[in-house]
Amino acid sequence: MTNFTSNIKTVDQIIEKTRVEVLLKDEIDNYQVAYEINKADIHTTLSSLKKEGWIQLSYLSAIDWPDENKMELIYLLFNWETPVYIQIRSKIDREHPEVASIIQIYPGAKYYEREAHEFFGIHFPGNPDYEKQLILENWDDIPPLRKDFDPRAYSDKKFPSREYPDQFSEKDPKNKKREKLEARDIRANKLRSGGEKQ
Amino acid sequence: MKKMKLFLGPQHPGMHGNASVHLYVDGDIIKESYLLPGMLHRGFEKQMERKLWVNNIALIPRVCVPEPDINEMSFAMATEKLLKLEVPERAHWIRMIMLEFARISAHLMAYGGLGGPTGNYTIMYHAHADRNRILEIFEKISGARVYHQYIVTGGVRKDLPEDIEEDIIELISDLESRLDEYRDIGIDNASIVKRIKDTILLPEEVVWDLGVTGIGMRSATNKPYDVRKITPYARYDQVEFEVPVSDYSDARSRLDIKLKEVQQSINIIRQSLDKMPEGPVRVKPGRGQSMRWTVPKGYVYAPVESSRGEFGYYMVSNGGTTPWRVGVRGASYPQGLLGIEKYMPGTRIDDAALWVDTMGVCSPEIDR
Amino acid sequence: MLSTKFTKKDDVVKTETDRKWWEIGDYFRRNSLWMLMYCTGCCAIELPPSMTAAYDMERLGMGPMATPRQADILLVSGYLSPKTLRRLIYTYEQMSEPRYVVALGSCPINGGIYHDSHVVINKLNQYIPVDVYVGGCMPNPESLLNGFVDLMQGIKNKTAMGWKRYHEHYDWYKANQKHSLGELIIHDEFHE
Repeated sequence: MTNFTSNIKTVDQIIEKTRVEVLLKDEIDNYQVAYEINKADIHTTLSSLKKEGWIQLSYLSAIDWPDENKMELIYLLFNWETPVYIQIRSKIDREHPEVASIIQIYPGAKYYEREAHEFFGIHFPGNPDYEKQLILENWDDIPPLRKDFDPRAYSDKKFPSREYPDQFSEKDPKNKKREKLEARDIRANKLRSGGEKQ
Repeated sequence: MKKMKLFLGPQHPGMHGNASVHLYVDGDIIKESYLLPGMLHRGFEKQMERKLWVNNIALIPRVCVPEPDINEMSFAMATEKLLKLEVPERAHWIRMIMLEFARISAHLMAYGGLGGPTGNYTIMYHAHADRNRILEIFEKISGARVYHQYIVTGGVRKDLPEDIEEDIIELISDLESRLDEYRDIGIDNASIVKRIKDTILLPEEVVWDLGVTGIGMRSATNKPYDVRKITPYARYDQVEFEVPVSDYSDARSRLDIKLKEVQQSINIIRQSLDKMPEGPVRVKPGRGQSMRWTVPKGYVYAPVESSRGEFGYYMVSNGGTTPWRVGVRGASYPQGLLGIEKYMPGTRIDDAALWVDTMGVCSPEIDR
Repeated sequence: MLSTKFTKKDDVVKTETDRKWWEIGDYFRRNSLWMLMYCTGCCAIELPPSMTAAYDMERLGMGPMATPRQADILLVSGYLSPKTLRRLIYTYEQMSEPRYVVALGSCPINGGIYHDSHVVINKLNQYIPVDVYVGGCMPNPESLLNGFVDLMQGIKNKTAMGWKRYHEHYDWYKANQKHSLGELIIHDEFHE
């Protein structure tokens, strides 16, 4: 089709013109490229990319990194004339996460931001009624997509499940096959977690 | 000006799936409208982080219920991009056949959805009877009617059976000869033309504002923007097909484009049956133990063209045996949520259920 | 109740005539069941093929019905999130008696493939009485019709009495609903 390397070079030139500090650049394949920038440069980058033709916002979401104590925001943009997917990523603080809303640039981001607040707890000042619940109803716990939320414990506490009685009889009482299987399981677990070989 | 509140609720004979629309009406005209999603929410993105890469293949077809093959294809493409794995040649052509059959069955189901809101159930019975024949071919190929779990990382699960080619050719020749009959019953029918002609318009500026993709974009802007042509995947650049467009977007022209796309899918299936080479169909990823393979670090996005627009999985991996974050970009997210809030007021109450059907709003994709 | 030449005056008792009227009513009821159109989950995709040409549901006398006040069967097709369960209980209490509940799929039995998810309930029998379960993760249309024939046999043998159990153990059902769902009233403040 079209010339792949020249498309990605066009994107590089646009990003250089905005004079924004690029922390990381990653070329994934012929049609995708990713940039990581600081939090304060998000608005200038997005508006200059929109003027050059990247008018469709495909996806907006967040990733949780509890070890580094940060959350990462992602914006995915696409242009149908020069086909390159651009990923814009930036890391923000995890205790009080807050990013200015981008509704004036891309009006379609309104519901994506509402969903990011509900699942991660990120605040978006500038977006009217982003605090109302969209998908969950009467939710009474921490935002569910954070890494310190355990869905199994919540499900056992609130929705009791069906109990199946443990009924079995020994088919061959002399052979004791069950004890052999349990010993084999213990040995396999030891090897998997790095114990000594026997 | 008086306002009355009305629930076009989840239990409704014309509603596609389990979503409800809240309307504020004055007489017969809608003044405000909001969609209430969340009744089909299962917490997929949290569940996928707790299961191995191989176990996720059983979970993902259930994200989009009418057309489950696009989920498997997008997940497999994303993991293959991270692993830098080469899929054998025959597997690409088999994947194309499955995807095109899934597209035909989803278009038939959306076309049959005209039956509920207009009260003309003949269309629904014809469309679902033909869709049942496609589900029987799926059962012969992969073993299950609806959730196949057939397209995996590294190729396809097993080869096609012996005499499947004659069954496929008989079915698609029969469908091709009856597309005119579908037009006579549905969009050229004198009893429902007045409800779908010149109603539910979609002007061109709205498309760029919301980010609508798929048939809504191609019918309003007259440009052939299709993911299969612009960023091709899986040997779509070696078959010849057209992308139908139109200039004026009302309900009738969008349904017309759907029938034209069914014709183009039939052409693609015929060409792939001719051009398919012999060979193996699967490559195992094979890092570490047989089921607990790991994927190197990276962030990748894999888009696929579904019957409603651009559908994709955003995958983040940390080098472990489970994914770190999986994000699903539903194809009907823009027109379902923001479109109903801003551009449905002004129409009448009986157009509300038709809006949800012809614009392509599928509720399991919005809720995940 | 006057005596005719076939019955003596002492033999005619009120419970006996009630039982005979219920027999006649059950015969007509089980041969013409009407089903409420409510697609709650994924298993609802197999309903249109079972209504159309290949696996015809109308030869058993069943057809679709639009409003819950005139329907006989409530078909719970698939998993239930708490948001749907609140609206489902509203619908179940609006139906007129006798009413039957058929549960499709393996998700109402023990949670299915979503058993450790934080938004899917695990056992439907605690909130609403269920008469027939049809198992499978997407059951076939043939097994669906088999389930309906089992329901008709149950009406004939008087074992499908879910609506009576709901009346007798009403407090137990309401306590379970309150424990899992919190409150049963639907608040719509996020639109106001």
